[in-house]
Amino acid sequence: MIEMLFQFEWMRNALLAGVMIGLISPLVGVYLVVRRMSLIADALSHVTLSGVAAGLLLQKDFAWAGWLNPIYLGMVFSVIGSVFVEQLRRLYRTFQEIAIPIILSGGVGLGVVLISAANGFNVDIAGYLFGSILAVGRQELLLMAVVSGIVLLFLLIFYKELFALSFDEEHAFLTGIPRRLLNFLFIVVVALVIAASIRVVGILLVSALMTIPVAASLQFTNSFRQTCIWSVIFAQIAVLCGLFAAYYLNWASGGTIVLVSIVIFLLILLIKKSLFLFRRRKIG
Amino acid sequence: MRENVVEIKNLHYSYEEQAVLDGIDLTVKQGEFLGIVGPNGSGKSTLVKCILGLLKPQAGEVLLFGQPVRTLGERSRIGYVSQKSNSFNSGFPATVREVVASGLYGSLGLFRRMKKQDWEKVEEVIDQVGLSAFRDQNIGKLSGGQQQRAFIARALVSDPRLLVLDEPTVGIDAKSTAQFYDLLAVLHREEGLTLLMVTHDLSVLSSHVDRVACLNKRLTFHGRPDEFERKQTEILSATYGHEIQLVSHGH
Ligand SMILES: Nc1ncnc2c1ncn2[C@@H]1O[C@H](COP(=O)(O)OP(=O)(O)OP(=O)(O)O)[C@@H](O)[C@H]1O
Ligand SMILES: [Mg+2]
Repeated sequence: MIEMLFQFEWMRNALLAGVMIGLISPLVGVYLVVRRMSLIADALSHVTLSGVAAGLLLQKDFAWAGWLNPIYLGMVFSVIGSVFVEQLRRLYRTFQEIAIPIILSGGVGLGVVLISAANGFNVDIAGYLFGSILAVGRQELLLMAVVSGIVLLFLLIFYKELFALSFDEEHAFLTGIPRRLLNFLFIVVVALVIAASIRVVGILLVSALMTIPVAASLQFTNSFRQTCIWSVIFAQIAVLCGLFAAYYLNWASGGTIVLVSIVIFLLILLIKKSLFLFRRRKIG
Repeated sequence: MRENVVEIKNLHYSYEEQAVLDGIDLTVKQGEFLGIVGPNGSGKSTLVKCILGLLKPQAGEVLLFGQPVRTLGERSRIGYVSQKSNSFNSGFPATVREVVASGLYGSLGLFRRMKKQDWEKVEEVIDQVGLSAFRDQNIGKLSGGQQQRAFIARALVSDPRLLVLDEPTVGIDAKSTAQFYDLLAVLHREEGLTLLMVTHDLSVLSSHVDRVACLNKRLTFHGRPDEFERKQTEILSATYGHEIQLVSHGH
């Protein structure tokens, strides 16, 4: 029955997109979570929204922009936003989360203005807000593949430096790790991941795949390596189960994927709690 | 003549308007164990951060191994355990082994991976600080004193020639403190490591260090421990102020 699905190109595309995003989102997410920056993903996704809106506006008003996928502009905006985030974070070292409301509201504000300037769009902007993985085309798939390649390479090459920076930024700097450069590259990579994953889960849910699988693994892992591995496993389960469930139940795919990851998270909590109770009873 | 590992010349530092360090001159020779004491807020941690190049002084100069600290290339020659090491995010998913290994990452350099002998070195320092049983334990689930030892291991793993410790024994029980000083003594005597330690524990001065520096915005004393013992009352009142009556530890 499942083999049947692979006959459709759109289903193959959706699966490929899901697997790629389910790999890079949690990997980047681990660093965001342990550095207490998870909300920054949300801020950047809203900046991406304004980029997408700008792209749609261009498409509407200028014929030559027809070929330009709004996601590209979304990506450009997201990267620019990430540079701002890093600047703000440096300016307010002791309360870095101040960057979040500033960037987030700025992104939404600009997005809303652009949408209103276009008197609303014919294109369904909901596809960007909530994801439309079943409509992922060849071009977008290619974009995701390129972004995934870049992200994986970055994380692989700088695994040890990123770990040291996340654990203790001052000490990492002291041992000669180029703090500024890596922080900058990292936030740009986050921006790329967000723009690439918008099609899968949507702007409003982008941070979910970055944080919920990580939150689930943090319940039981000891080491950083384990946390990375389990986060990817949970994200893959969420994406695959979510996709099939969405297809058979005719639910929104982005929402379903997020709900599945929350179910995984709750299951882990439950298992942990019952193991704890079980052990206590054995001792008591 | 032994090499000057740390050389501080006429150092001034102030946060915004408040002057914290005012004309410090201090030299630490190779193989020396310097203890720095002084009341809370006297600028000890600030001095340490200036020495390490974490803070940029408004005036004066800091030389490490004869080079200005800000241009010092070989960062691995310095090990540092900061006063607030223990204030890391205690939910952080990392084992003792991972944390200790991170002390090597800077000196390994970009694009290089940990090799077999690097991991062996990690195991060796974990044994040295007595955490063998906890190497795969999550760092947040250790006791405060055990965490402190892990941070000392992280500082030692890159084979530093200068070890800087800012109140390393705060929150550590008496037995572990004694073990810790024994470890420092081994590193100091047998491996010739240069040590710089900020402490509030005056009793350790007579028994372990070669030089004492008393700090309160300026250096109020710098000399041998026996000299310090002899003139203790004057030095302490100059450092800590006249009103405070200090209970003298030790002998
Ligand atoms: N980041 C900062 N910004 C502004 N002032 C600071 C900062 N850090 C320290 N100070 C001030 O500098 C002075 C010296 O601080 P420092 O931390 O060097 O003291 P210390 O000798 O290490 O004290 P303690 O024994 O409590 O560790 C204090 O009066 C403090 O108020
Ligand atoms: Mg201090």
